[in-house]
Amino acid sequence: MSIQKHGIGHYLIMLVLALGAIILVYPLYNQLVISLTGSDYITKASGTTIIPYGFTLSTYTTVLAIPKVARGLLNSIFITATGLVINIVFTSMGAYVLTKRDLVGRSFFITMIVITMIFEGGLIPDYFLMRKLHLLNTYWSVILYKAINPYYLIILMRFFDRVPPSLIEAARIDGLSETKILFKIVFPVSVAGIATVSLFYGVFHWNEYFRAMIYLTDEMKYPLQVVLRELLISAEKASFIGSMNFLKVTAAAQLDIKAIKAALIIISIIPILAFYPFVLKYFVKGRLEGSVKE
Amino acid sequence: MKGNIQKRIIKDKQMYLLLFPVILFFVVWHYIPMWGSRIAFQDVMYIGANKWAGLRHFQLLFSSPVFLKVFINTVIISSMKMFLIFPLPIFLAFMLNEVTSHGFRKSVQSVIYLPHFFSWVVIAGIFISLLSSPEGVVNQIMVFFGLEPISFMTSTKHIRWVFVFSEVWRSIGWDSILYIAAINSIAPALYEAATIDGASPFQQAINITLPAIIPTIITVFILNLGFFMNAGFDQVFNMMNDAVINHVDIIDTYVYRVGLMQGNYSLGTAAGLFKGIIGFVLILSTDRLSRKVTGEGVW
Repeated sequence: MSIQKHGIGHYLIMLVLALGAIILVYPLYNQLVISLTGSDYITKASGTTIIPYGFTLSTYTTVLAIPKVARGLLNSIFITATGLVINIVFTSMGAYVLTKRDLVGRSFFITMIVITMIFEGGLIPDYFLMRKLHLLNTYWSVILYKAINPYYLIILMRFFDRVPPSLIEAARIDGLSETKILFKIVFPVSVAGIATVSLFYGVFHWNEYFRAMIYLTDEMKYPLQVVLRELLISAEKASFIGSMNFLKVTAAAQLDIKAIKAALIIISIIPILAFYPFVLKYFVKGRLEGSVKE
Repeated sequence: MKGNIQKRIIKDKQMYLLLFPVILFFVVWHYIPMWGSRIAFQDVMYIGANKWAGLRHFQLLFSSPVFLKVFINTVIISSMKMFLIFPLPIFLAFMLNEVTSHGFRKSVQSVIYLPHFFSWVVIAGIFISLLSSPEGVVNQIMVFFGLEPISFMTSTKHIRWVFVFSEVWRSIGWDSILYIAAINSIAPALYEAATIDGASPFQQAINITLPAIIPTIITVFILNLGFFMNAGFDQVFNMMNDAVINHVDIIDTYVYRVGLMQGNYSLGTAAGLFKGIIGFVLILSTDRLSRKVTGEGVW
Protein backbone atom coordinates (compact mmCIF):
# COMPACT_ATOMS: atom_id res chain seq x y z
CA MET A 1 0.00 0.00 0.00
CA SER A 2 2.90 2.25 0.71
CA ILE A 3 4.33 2.49 -2.76
CA GLN A 4 2.78 3.83 -5.91
CA LYS A 5 5.24 2.78 -8.59
CA HIS A 6 6.52 -0.78 -8.48
CA GLY A 7 10.27 -0.98 -8.30
CA ILE A 8 12.24 -4.20 -8.65
CA GLY A 9 12.22 -4.47 -4.85
CA HIS A 10 8.46 -4.88 -4.90
CA TYR A 11 8.64 -7.91 -7.17
CA LEU A 12 11.53 -9.34 -5.21
CA ILE A 13 9.44 -9.18 -2.04
CA MET A 14 6.53 -10.88 -3.78
CA LEU A 15 8.88 -13.59 -5.00
CA VAL A 16 10.27 -14.18 -1.51
CA LEU A 17 6.75 -14.32 -0.03
CA ALA A 18 5.52 -16.71 -2.72
CA LEU A 19 8.53 -18.97 -2.23
CA GLY A 20 8.08 -18.82 1.54
CA ALA A 21 4.43 -19.79 1.25
CA ILE A 22 5.32 -22.71 -1.03
CA ILE A 23 8.03 -23.93 1.34
CA LEU A 24 5.57 -23.64 4.21
CA VAL A 25 2.86 -25.67 2.53
CA TYR A 26 5.13 -28.17 0.81
CA PRO A 27 5.57 -30.58 3.77
CA LEU A 28 1.81 -30.93 3.88
CA TYR A 29 1.49 -31.44 0.15
CA ASN A 30 4.21 -34.06 0.34
CA GLN A 31 2.23 -36.01 2.96
CA LEU A 32 -0.80 -35.89 0.68
CA VAL A 33 1.24 -37.22 -2.25
CA ILE A 34 2.71 -40.06 -0.19
CA SER A 35 -0.71 -41.03 1.14
CA LEU A 36 -2.05 -41.30 -2.41
CA THR A 37 0.88 -43.28 -3.84
CA GLY A 38 0.13 -46.85 -4.90
CA SER A 39 1.75 -49.58 -2.84
CA ASP A 40 3.84 -50.83 -5.78
CA TYR A 41 5.55 -47.47 -6.02
CA ILE A 42 5.78 -46.43 -2.42
CA THR A 43 9.42 -47.43 -1.98
CA LYS A 44 10.21 -44.89 -4.68
CA ALA A 45 8.18 -42.14 -3.05
CA SER A 46 10.27 -39.69 -1.10
CA GLY A 47 10.20 -36.14 0.10
CA THR A 48 10.76 -34.88 -3.41
CA THR A 49 7.91 -36.75 -5.10
CA ILE A 50 5.61 -34.17 -6.65
CA ILE A 51 2.98 -36.39 -8.30
CA PRO A 52 1.73 -39.63 -6.70
CA TYR A 53 2.72 -42.70 -8.74
CA GLY A 54 -0.08 -45.20 -9.22
CA PHE A 55 -2.71 -42.94 -7.65
CA THR A 56 -4.83 -44.86 -5.14
CA LEU A 57 -7.17 -44.27 -2.23
CA SER A 58 -6.54 -47.74 -0.82
CA THR A 59 -4.32 -46.40 1.95
CA TYR A 60 -7.24 -44.38 3.24
CA THR A 61 -9.71 -47.25 3.13
CA THR A 62 -7.23 -49.47 4.95
CA VAL A 63 -6.35 -46.86 7.56
CA LEU A 64 -10.00 -46.08 8.26
CA ALA A 65 -10.61 -49.80 8.73
CA ILE A 66 -8.18 -49.92 11.63
CA PRO A 67 -10.62 -50.18 14.56
CA LYS A 68 -8.54 -47.83 16.70
CA VAL A 69 -8.54 -45.15 14.04
CA ALA A 70 -12.25 -45.38 13.23
CA ARG A 71 -13.07 -45.44 16.92
CA GLY A 72 -10.68 -42.54 17.58
CA LEU A 73 -12.34 -40.48 14.91
CA LEU A 74 -15.77 -41.05 16.47
CA ASN A 75 -14.44 -40.32 19.96
CA SER A 76 -12.88 -37.06 18.77
CA ILE A 77 -16.10 -35.98 17.13
CA PHE A 78 -18.07 -36.83 20.28
CA ILE A 79 -15.64 -35.05 22.60
CA THR A 80 -15.41 -31.98 20.39
CA ALA A 81 -19.18 -31.68 19.92
CA THR A 82 -20.14 -32.30 23.56
CA GLY A 83 -17.27 -30.19 24.82
CA LEU A 84 -18.21 -27.34 22.55
CA VAL A 85 -21.82 -27.19 23.76
CA ILE A 86 -20.67 -27.15 27.39
CA ASN A 87 -17.98 -24.56 26.64
CA ILE A 88 -20.34 -22.19 24.91
CA VAL A 89 -23.15 -22.46 27.48
CA PHE A 90 -20.92 -21.86 30.49
CA THR A 91 -18.52 -19.38 28.93
CA SER A 92 -21.37 -17.23 27.68
CA MET A 93 -23.10 -17.39 31.06
CA GLY A 94 -19.97 -16.12 32.73
CA ALA A 95 -19.28 -13.52 30.08
CA TYR A 96 -22.86 -12.24 30.15
CA VAL A 97 -22.97 -11.79 33.92
CA LEU A 98 -19.51 -10.27 34.18
CA THR A 99 -20.24 -7.75 31.43
CA LYS A 100 -22.87 -6.16 33.69
CA ARG A 101 -20.85 -3.27 35.06
CA ASP A 102 -22.87 -2.52 38.20
CA LEU A 103 -22.87 -6.13 39.45
CA VAL A 104 -21.86 -6.26 43.12
CA GLY A 105 -18.59 -8.19 43.42
CA ARG A 106 -17.85 -8.01 39.68
CA SER A 107 -14.19 -7.04 40.03
CA PHE A 108 -13.68 -9.72 42.69
CA PHE A 109 -14.99 -12.43 40.36
CA ILE A 110 -12.95 -11.13 37.43
CA THR A 111 -9.78 -11.05 39.53
CA MET A 112 -10.51 -14.58 40.68
CA ILE A 113 -10.69 -15.70 37.05
CA VAL A 114 -7.62 -13.75 35.92
CA ILE A 115 -5.51 -15.32 38.68
CA THR A 116 -6.13 -18.74 37.13
CA MET A 117 -4.47 -17.45 33.94
CA ILE A 118 -1.21 -16.86 35.78
CA PHE A 119 -1.14 -19.56 38.38
CA GLU A 120 -2.14 -23.18 37.96
CA GLY A 121 -2.11 -26.20 40.20
CA GLY A 122 -0.28 -28.22 37.64
CA LEU A 123 -0.37 -31.66 36.15
CA ILE A 124 -0.14 -33.84 39.24
CA PRO A 125 -2.73 -32.04 41.44
CA ASP A 126 -5.04 -32.07 38.41
CA TYR A 127 -4.60 -35.80 38.11
CA PHE A 128 -5.26 -36.37 41.80
CA LEU A 129 -8.42 -34.29 41.62
CA MET A 130 -9.62 -36.28 38.63
CA ARG A 131 -9.01 -39.48 40.57
CA LYS A 132 -10.79 -38.21 43.65
CA LEU A 133 -13.83 -37.24 41.61
CA HIS A 134 -13.83 -40.74 40.02
CA LEU A 135 -13.65 -39.19 36.58
CA LEU A 136 -10.56 -41.06 35.39
CA ASN A 137 -11.20 -43.09 32.28
CA THR A 138 -14.43 -41.23 31.46
CA TYR A 139 -15.02 -38.86 28.57
CA TRP A 140 -15.92 -36.24 31.17
CA SER A 141 -12.32 -36.07 32.36
CA VAL A 142 -11.30 -34.70 28.97
CA ILE A 143 -14.37 -32.53 28.49
CA LEU A 144 -14.81 -30.92 31.89
CA TYR A 145 -11.35 -29.83 32.95
CA LYS A 146 -11.37 -27.04 30.36
CA ALA A 147 -15.11 -26.32 30.34
CA ILE A 148 -14.30 -22.63 30.63
CA ASN A 149 -11.09 -21.12 29.32
CA PRO A 150 -10.48 -17.80 31.11
CA TYR A 151 -8.91 -16.24 27.99
CA TYR A 152 -11.90 -17.09 25.84
CA LEU A 153 -14.26 -15.88 28.56
CA ILE A 154 -12.59 -12.47 28.44
CA ILE A 155 -12.69 -12.40 24.64
CA LEU A 156 -16.40 -13.15 24.75
CA MET A 157 -16.90 -10.39 27.33
CA ARG A 158 -15.42 -7.94 24.83
CA PHE A 159 -18.00 -9.02 22.25
CA PHE A 160 -20.91 -8.92 24.72
CA ASP A 161 -19.79 -5.47 25.78
CA ARG A 162 -20.82 -4.20 22.36
CA VAL A 163 -24.42 -5.36 22.66
CA PRO A 164 -26.51 -2.17 23.04
CA PRO A 165 -27.57 -1.94 26.73
CA SER A 166 -30.95 -0.56 25.64
CA LEU A 167 -31.70 -3.91 23.98
CA ILE A 168 -31.11 -5.77 27.24
CA GLU A 169 -32.95 -3.17 29.30
CA ALA A 170 -36.00 -3.39 27.03
CA ALA A 171 -36.03 -7.18 27.41
CA ARG A 172 -35.80 -6.85 31.19
CA ILE A 173 -38.74 -4.45 31.23
CA ASP A 174 -40.67 -6.97 29.15
CA GLY A 175 -40.05 -9.39 32.01
CA LEU A 176 -37.71 -11.84 30.24
CA SER A 177 -35.54 -13.90 32.57
CA GLU A 178 -31.80 -13.31 32.40
CA THR A 179 -31.28 -16.78 30.89
CA LYS A 180 -33.72 -15.92 28.11
CA ILE A 181 -32.08 -12.53 27.55
CA LEU A 182 -28.71 -14.22 27.19
CA PHE A 183 -29.77 -16.95 24.80
CA LYS A 184 -32.52 -15.14 22.87
CA ILE A 185 -31.30 -11.54 22.76
CA VAL A 186 -27.54 -11.42 23.35
CA PHE A 187 -26.66 -14.58 21.39
CA PRO A 188 -28.25 -13.62 18.06
CA VAL A 189 -26.54 -10.22 18.02
CA SER A 190 -23.13 -11.64 19.03
CA VAL A 191 -22.80 -14.26 16.30
CA ALA A 192 -19.24 -13.19 15.48
CA GLY A 193 -18.18 -13.52 19.12
CA ILE A 194 -19.83 -16.92 19.56
CA ALA A 195 -18.32 -18.15 16.29
CA THR A 196 -14.85 -16.94 17.28
CA VAL A 197 -14.92 -18.57 20.67
CA SER A 198 -16.49 -21.77 19.28
CA LEU A 199 -13.65 -22.09 16.81
CA PHE A 200 -11.09 -21.53 19.55
CA TYR A 201 -12.68 -24.26 21.65
CA GLY A 202 -13.27 -26.53 18.67
CA VAL A 203 -9.63 -26.47 17.61
CA PHE A 204 -8.61 -27.00 21.22
CA HIS A 205 -10.77 -30.12 21.63
CA TRP A 206 -9.85 -31.56 18.26
CA ASN A 207 -6.12 -31.18 18.97
CA GLU A 208 -6.22 -32.27 22.61
CA TYR A 209 -4.17 -35.39 23.25
CA PHE A 210 -2.15 -35.04 26.44
CA ARG A 211 -4.87 -35.03 29.09
CA ALA A 212 -6.71 -37.73 27.17
CA MET A 213 -3.55 -39.82 27.18
CA ILE A 214 -3.18 -39.43 30.93
CA TYR A 215 -6.79 -39.65 32.07
CA LEU A 216 -8.10 -42.35 29.75
CA THR A 217 -6.92 -45.92 30.22
CA ASP A 218 -9.41 -47.67 27.97
CA GLU A 219 -8.02 -47.56 24.42
CA MET A 220 -11.52 -47.60 22.98
CA LYS A 221 -12.05 -44.16 24.48
CA TYR A 222 -8.94 -42.59 22.94
CA PRO A 223 -9.55 -39.57 20.73
CA LEU A 224 -7.90 -39.53 17.32
CA GLN A 225 -4.90 -37.47 18.45
CA VAL A 226 -3.87 -40.07 21.02
CA VAL A 227 -4.15 -42.83 18.43
CA LEU A 228 -2.18 -40.66 16.03
CA ARG A 229 0.53 -40.12 18.60
CA GLU A 230 0.79 -43.84 19.14
CA LEU A 231 0.92 -44.65 15.45
CA LEU A 232 2.84 -41.64 14.14
CA ILE A 233 5.49 -41.14 16.71
CA SER A 234 6.10 -44.29 18.62
CA ALA A 235 4.95 -47.14 16.41
CA GLU A 236 6.61 -49.49 14.00
CA LYS A 237 4.77 -51.35 11.32
CA ALA A 238 4.21 -54.46 13.44
CA SER A 239 1.98 -52.58 15.84
CA PHE A 240 -0.13 -51.30 12.95
CA ILE A 241 -0.74 -54.78 11.72
CA GLY A 242 -1.35 -55.80 15.31
CA SER A 243 -4.13 -53.28 15.52
CA MET A 244 -5.88 -54.54 12.38
CA ASN A 245 -8.68 -57.05 12.05
CA PHE A 246 -7.37 -60.46 11.08
CA LEU A 247 -8.94 -60.14 7.65
CA LYS A 248 -7.32 -56.80 7.02
CA VAL A 249 -3.85 -57.90 7.99
CA THR A 250 -2.84 -58.75 4.43
CA ALA A 251 -4.09 -55.41 3.16
CA ALA A 252 -2.08 -53.62 5.81
CA ALA A 253 0.99 -55.69 5.24
CA GLN A 254 1.06 -54.52 1.65
CA LEU A 255 1.03 -50.90 2.64
CA ASP A 256 4.09 -48.96 3.52
CA ILE A 257 4.31 -47.38 6.94
CA LYS A 258 5.10 -44.05 5.28
CA ALA A 259 1.82 -44.07 3.39
CA ILE A 260 -0.17 -45.08 6.48
CA LYS A 261 1.33 -42.29 8.55
CA ALA A 262 0.78 -39.76 5.79
CA ALA A 263 -2.86 -40.78 5.42
CA LEU A 264 -3.36 -40.47 9.18
CA ILE A 265 -1.94 -36.95 9.14
CA ILE A 266 -4.22 -35.93 6.30
CA ILE A 267 -7.32 -37.49 7.93
CA SER A 268 -6.66 -35.66 11.18
CA ILE A 269 -6.38 -32.24 9.55
CA ILE A 270 -9.37 -32.57 7.21
CA PRO A 271 -11.81 -31.04 9.74
CA ILE A 272 -9.44 -28.11 10.23
CA LEU A 273 -9.19 -27.60 6.49
CA ALA A 274 -12.98 -27.88 6.17
CA PHE A 275 -13.52 -25.12 8.73
CA TYR A 276 -10.55 -23.06 7.56
CA PRO A 277 -12.59 -20.41 5.71
CA PHE A 278 -14.47 -19.70 8.96
CA VAL A 279 -11.24 -19.85 10.88
CA LEU A 280 -9.77 -17.17 8.63
CA LYS A 281 -12.88 -15.06 9.01
CA TYR A 282 -13.19 -15.22 12.79
CA PHE A 283 -9.94 -16.42 14.30
CA VAL A 284 -7.85 -13.55 13.07
CA LYS A 285 -10.30 -11.10 14.57
CA GLY A 286 -10.36 -13.12 17.76
CA ARG A 287 -6.61 -13.01 17.94
CA LEU A 288 -6.80 -9.23 17.90
CA GLU A 289 -9.65 -9.16 20.43
CA GLY A 290 -7.60 -11.24 22.80
CA SER A 291 -4.71 -8.87 22.55
CA VAL A 292 -6.25 -5.45 22.71
CA LYS A 293 -4.53 -5.09 26.00
CA GLU A 294 -2.07 -7.92 25.64
CA MET B 1 -25.37 2.19 51.62
CA LYS B 2 -25.41 -1.34 52.99
CA GLY B 3 -29.09 -1.71 52.31
CA ASN B 4 -28.43 -0.45 48.83
CA ILE B 5 -25.92 -3.20 48.11
CA GLN B 6 -28.29 -5.78 49.52
CA LYS B 7 -31.02 -4.47 47.24
CA ARG B 8 -28.75 -4.64 44.23
CA ILE B 9 -27.75 -8.20 45.02
CA ILE B 10 -31.37 -9.26 45.38
CA LYS B 11 -32.29 -7.48 42.16
CA ASP B 12 -29.52 -9.35 40.36
CA LYS B 13 -30.22 -12.74 41.91
CA GLN B 14 -30.79 -14.33 38.51
CA MET B 15 -27.37 -13.06 37.48
CA TYR B 16 -25.71 -14.70 40.47
CA LEU B 17 -27.56 -17.89 39.69
CA LEU B 18 -26.07 -17.83 36.19
CA LEU B 19 -22.63 -17.00 37.57
CA PHE B 20 -22.70 -19.73 40.20
CA PRO B 21 -21.71 -22.69 37.97
CA VAL B 22 -18.97 -20.57 36.40
CA ILE B 23 -17.41 -19.72 39.76
CA LEU B 24 -17.90 -23.32 40.90
CA PHE B 25 -15.96 -24.42 37.83
CA PHE B 26 -13.01 -22.17 38.64
CA VAL B 27 -13.01 -23.25 42.28
CA VAL B 28 -13.11 -26.96 41.44
CA TRP B 29 -10.80 -27.08 38.41
CA HIS B 30 -8.38 -24.31 39.28
CA TYR B 31 -8.38 -23.43 42.97
CA ILE B 32 -8.61 -26.98 44.34
CA PRO B 33 -5.60 -28.10 42.25
CA MET B 34 -3.72 -24.96 43.40
CA TRP B 35 -4.40 -26.02 46.97
CA GLY B 36 -3.57 -29.58 45.93
CA SER B 37 -0.06 -28.57 44.92
CA ARG B 38 0.80 -28.45 48.63
CA ILE B 39 1.84 -32.10 48.18
CA ALA B 40 5.16 -30.55 47.10
CA PHE B 41 5.67 -30.00 50.84
CA GLN B 42 4.32 -33.39 51.88
CA ASP B 43 5.05 -37.07 51.57
CA VAL B 44 2.19 -38.76 49.76
CA MET B 45 0.91 -41.65 51.86
CA TYR B 46 -1.07 -44.48 50.35
CA ILE B 47 -2.87 -45.11 53.62
CA GLY B 48 -3.91 -42.27 55.90
CA ALA B 49 -3.11 -38.60 55.74
CA ASN B 50 -0.05 -37.20 53.96
CA LYS B 51 2.93 -36.35 56.16
CA TRP B 52 4.46 -32.90 56.31
CA ALA B 53 7.88 -32.93 54.65
CA GLY B 54 8.87 -29.26 54.76
CA LEU B 55 11.23 -28.27 51.97
CA ARG B 56 12.80 -31.71 51.64
CA HIS B 57 11.51 -32.30 48.11
CA PHE B 58 12.82 -28.93 47.01
CA GLN B 59 16.22 -29.71 48.52
CA LEU B 60 16.19 -33.02 46.67
CA LEU B 61 15.21 -31.24 43.48
CA PHE B 62 17.91 -28.58 43.66
CA SER B 63 20.64 -31.07 44.49
CA SER B 64 19.64 -33.32 41.59
CA PRO B 65 21.96 -33.10 38.57
CA VAL B 66 19.08 -34.16 36.34
CA PHE B 67 16.95 -31.22 37.40
CA LEU B 68 19.85 -28.83 36.88
CA LYS B 69 20.21 -30.12 33.34
CA VAL B 70 16.48 -29.87 32.78
CA PHE B 71 16.48 -26.29 34.02
CA ILE B 72 19.39 -25.35 31.75
CA ASN B 73 17.68 -27.03 28.78
CA THR B 74 14.54 -25.02 29.47
CA VAL B 75 16.51 -21.78 29.49
CA ILE B 76 18.47 -22.66 26.34
CA ILE B 77 15.49 -23.81 24.29
CA SER B 78 13.36 -20.90 25.41
CA SER B 79 16.12 -18.37 24.68
CA MET B 80 16.74 -19.80 21.22
CA LYS B 81 13.07 -19.51 20.40
CA MET B 82 12.70 -16.10 21.94
CA PHE B 83 15.65 -14.32 20.39
CA LEU B 84 15.93 -16.10 17.05
CA ILE B 85 12.26 -16.34 16.21
CA PHE B 86 11.02 -13.05 17.58
CA PRO B 87 12.09 -10.75 14.69
CA LEU B 88 10.78 -13.03 11.91
CA PRO B 89 7.04 -12.20 12.11
CA ILE B 90 8.00 -8.52 12.14
CA PHE B 91 9.97 -8.91 8.89
CA LEU B 92 7.06 -10.84 7.46
CA ALA B 93 4.60 -8.08 8.34
CA PHE B 94 6.89 -5.51 6.70
CA MET B 95 7.13 -7.57 3.55
CA LEU B 96 3.37 -8.15 3.37
CA ASN B 97 2.88 -4.41 3.77
CA GLU B 98 4.87 -3.79 0.61
CA VAL B 99 2.60 -6.01 -1.48
CA THR B 100 0.06 -3.91 -3.36
CA SER B 101 -2.03 -6.77 -4.77
CA HIS B 102 -4.81 -7.49 -2.29
CA GLY B 103 -5.44 -10.99 -3.67
CA PHE B 104 -1.79 -11.97 -3.47
CA ARG B 105 -1.51 -10.77 0.09
CA LYS B 106 -4.66 -12.58 1.20
CA SER B 107 -3.48 -15.84 -0.40
CA VAL B 108 -0.08 -15.70 1.28
CA GLN B 109 -1.74 -14.94 4.61
CA SER B 110 -4.23 -17.80 4.25
CA VAL B 111 -1.41 -20.24 3.63
CA ILE B 112 0.93 -19.13 6.39
CA TYR B 113 -1.71 -19.09 9.15
CA LEU B 114 -2.64 -22.71 8.52
CA PRO B 115 0.02 -24.64 10.53
CA HIS B 116 -0.98 -22.79 13.69
CA PHE B 117 -4.13 -24.92 13.85
CA PHE B 118 -2.39 -28.29 13.75
CA SER B 119 -1.68 -30.19 16.94
CA TRP B 120 1.93 -30.80 17.88
CA VAL B 121 1.27 -34.51 17.38
CA VAL B 122 0.58 -33.82 13.71
CA ILE B 123 3.43 -31.32 13.37
CA ALA B 124 5.86 -33.79 14.94
CA GLY B 125 4.60 -36.45 12.51
CA ILE B 126 5.16 -34.12 9.57
CA PHE B 127 8.65 -33.10 10.70
CA ILE B 128 9.71 -36.66 11.43
CA SER B 129 8.78 -37.50 7.85
CA LEU B 130 10.28 -34.30 6.42
CA LEU B 131 13.62 -34.82 8.17
CA SER B 132 13.85 -38.58 7.92
CA SER B 133 17.08 -39.96 6.56
CA PRO B 134 17.61 -40.56 3.70
CA GLU B 135 14.20 -40.21 2.00
CA GLY B 136 12.91 -37.00 3.63
CA VAL B 137 12.91 -33.93 1.45
CA VAL B 138 15.61 -32.10 3.41
CA ASN B 139 18.05 -34.98 3.13
CA GLN B 140 17.17 -35.53 -0.52
CA ILE B 141 18.13 -31.93 -1.23
CA MET B 142 21.32 -32.28 0.80
CA VAL B 143 22.29 -35.43 -1.08
CA PHE B 144 21.56 -33.62 -4.36
CA PHE B 145 24.15 -31.03 -3.39
CA GLY B 146 26.63 -33.73 -2.46
CA LEU B 147 26.20 -33.53 1.32
CA GLU B 148 25.94 -36.46 3.72
CA PRO B 149 22.39 -37.18 4.92
CA ILE B 150 21.78 -36.41 8.60
CA SER B 151 19.32 -38.08 10.93
CA PHE B 152 18.11 -34.77 12.41
CA MET B 153 15.60 -36.11 14.91
CA THR B 154 18.18 -38.27 16.68
CA SER B 155 21.12 -35.89 16.40
CA THR B 156 21.95 -34.08 19.61
CA LYS B 157 23.56 -31.33 17.57
CA HIS B 158 20.47 -30.63 15.48
CA ILE B 159 17.40 -31.40 17.56
CA ARG B 160 17.13 -27.98 19.21
CA TRP B 161 17.29 -26.41 15.76
CA VAL B 162 14.47 -28.69 14.71
CA PHE B 163 12.48 -27.12 17.57
CA VAL B 164 13.31 -23.64 16.33
CA PHE B 165 12.39 -24.40 12.73
CA SER B 166 9.19 -26.25 13.53
CA GLU B 167 8.15 -23.41 15.81
CA VAL B 168 8.78 -20.93 13.00
CA TRP B 169 6.80 -23.13 10.61
CA ARG B 170 3.88 -23.23 13.02
CA SER B 171 3.73 -19.67 14.23
CA ILE B 172 5.43 -17.18 11.92
CA GLY B 173 2.18 -16.34 10.15
CA TRP B 174 0.04 -16.31 13.25
CA ASP B 175 2.47 -14.13 15.18
CA SER B 176 2.60 -11.61 12.35
CA ILE B 177 -1.12 -10.79 12.72
CA LEU B 178 -0.60 -8.29 15.52
CA TYR B 179 2.09 -6.44 13.57
CA ILE B 180 0.02 -6.44 10.39
CA ALA B 181 -2.87 -4.92 12.32
CA ALA B 182 -0.56 -2.29 13.80
CA ILE B 183 0.78 -1.41 10.36
CA ASN B 184 -2.72 -1.25 8.89
CA SER B 185 -3.70 1.38 11.42
CA ILE B 186 -1.02 3.80 10.20
CA ALA B 187 -2.59 6.77 8.41
CA PRO B 188 -2.06 6.43 4.61
CA ALA B 189 -1.50 10.20 4.44
CA LEU B 190 1.90 9.69 6.07
CA TYR B 191 3.03 7.47 3.20
CA GLU B 192 1.54 9.78 0.60
CA ALA B 193 3.40 12.77 2.01
CA ALA B 194 6.64 10.77 2.14
CA THR B 195 6.19 9.64 -1.47
CA ILE B 196 5.73 13.25 -2.56
CA ASP B 197 8.90 14.14 -0.65
CA GLY B 198 10.66 11.45 -2.66
CA ALA B 199 11.25 8.89 0.11
CA SER B 200 12.04 5.40 -1.20
CA PRO B 201 9.91 2.44 -0.01
CA PHE B 202 12.81 1.35 2.17
CA GLN B 203 13.10 4.80 3.75
CA GLN B 204 9.35 4.78 4.35
CA ALA B 205 9.56 1.38 6.07
CA ILE B 206 12.32 2.61 8.37
CA ASN B 207 10.98 6.08 9.09
CA ILE B 208 7.21 5.58 9.10
CA THR B 209 6.31 1.92 9.59
CA LEU B 210 8.95 0.95 12.13
CA PRO B 211 8.38 3.81 14.62
CA ALA B 212 4.63 3.23 14.39
CA ILE B 213 4.81 -0.42 15.39
CA ILE B 214 7.55 -0.18 18.02
CA PRO B 215 5.01 -0.08 20.88
CA THR B 216 3.49 -3.34 19.57
CA ILE B 217 6.95 -4.90 19.29
CA ILE B 218 7.81 -3.93 22.87
CA THR B 219 4.48 -5.18 24.22
CA VAL B 220 4.79 -8.56 22.50
CA PHE B 221 8.40 -8.95 23.61
CA ILE B 222 7.55 -8.19 27.22
CA LEU B 223 4.64 -10.60 27.13
CA ASN B 224 6.89 -13.33 25.72
CA LEU B 225 9.36 -12.68 28.51
CA GLY B 226 6.58 -13.33 31.01
CA PHE B 227 6.01 -16.79 29.56
CA PHE B 228 9.71 -17.54 29.22
CA MET B 229 9.57 -20.69 31.37
CA ASN B 230 7.16 -22.32 28.93
CA ALA B 231 9.70 -23.78 26.56
CA GLY B 232 6.97 -25.67 24.68
CA PHE B 233 5.84 -28.88 26.35
CA ASP B 234 3.78 -30.28 23.48
CA GLN B 235 6.52 -29.71 20.96
CA VAL B 236 9.28 -31.26 23.05
CA PHE B 237 7.08 -34.10 24.25
CA ASN B 238 6.17 -35.15 20.73
CA MET B 239 9.58 -34.65 19.14
CA MET B 240 11.82 -36.11 21.84
CA ASN B 241 13.33 -39.57 21.72
CA ASP B 242 15.86 -41.52 23.77
CA ALA B 243 18.78 -40.46 21.59
CA VAL B 244 18.37 -36.77 22.38
CA ILE B 245 16.57 -36.73 25.73
CA ASN B 246 19.52 -35.19 27.61
CA HIS B 247 19.47 -32.20 25.29
CA VAL B 248 15.76 -31.57 25.13
CA ASP B 249 14.28 -32.61 28.47
CA ILE B 250 12.60 -29.48 29.92
CA ILE B 251 10.90 -28.83 33.27
CA ASP B 252 7.45 -29.69 31.94
CA THR B 253 8.53 -33.02 30.49
CA TYR B 254 10.43 -33.70 33.73
CA VAL B 255 7.25 -33.11 35.76
CA TYR B 256 5.39 -35.58 33.58
CA ARG B 257 8.07 -38.25 33.56
CA VAL B 258 9.33 -38.10 37.14
CA GLY B 259 6.08 -36.98 38.73
CA LEU B 260 3.40 -38.91 36.95
CA MET B 261 5.14 -41.80 35.19
CA GLN B 262 7.61 -42.71 37.93
CA GLY B 263 5.18 -41.82 40.71
CA ASN B 264 7.40 -39.28 42.51
CA TYR B 265 4.33 -37.11 42.98
CA SER B 266 5.84 -34.70 45.49
CA LEU B 267 9.09 -34.22 43.59
CA GLY B 268 7.23 -33.65 40.32
CA THR B 269 4.85 -31.18 41.93
CA ALA B 270 7.79 -29.38 43.55
CA ALA B 271 9.39 -29.00 40.11
CA GLY B 272 6.12 -27.72 38.65
CA LEU B 273 5.65 -25.31 41.54
CA PHE B 274 9.20 -24.02 41.16
CA LYS B 275 8.54 -23.31 37.51
CA GLY B 276 5.20 -21.72 38.38
CA ILE B 277 6.81 -19.37 40.91
CA ILE B 278 9.49 -18.26 38.45
CA GLY B 279 6.77 -17.71 35.86
CA PHE B 280 4.68 -15.75 38.34
CA VAL B 281 7.61 -13.49 39.25
CA LEU B 282 8.44 -13.03 35.56
CA ILE B 283 4.89 -12.05 34.71
CA LEU B 284 4.64 -9.61 37.60
CA SER B 285 7.96 -7.99 36.73
CA THR B 286 7.18 -7.81 33.02
CA ASP B 287 3.86 -6.19 33.94
CA ARG B 288 5.83 -3.57 35.89
CA LEU B 289 8.26 -3.18 33.02
CA SER B 290 5.40 -2.88 30.57
CA ARG B 291 3.72 -0.14 32.63
CA LYS B 292 6.98 1.75 32.70
CA VAL B 293 7.89 1.36 29.02
CA THR B 294 4.54 1.48 27.26
CA GLY B 295 2.35 3.00 29.95
CA GLU B 296 0.09 -0.06 29.90
CA GLY B 297 0.13 -3.25 31.93
CA VAL B 298 0.13 -6.77 30.58
CA TRP B 299 -3.62 -6.74 31.32
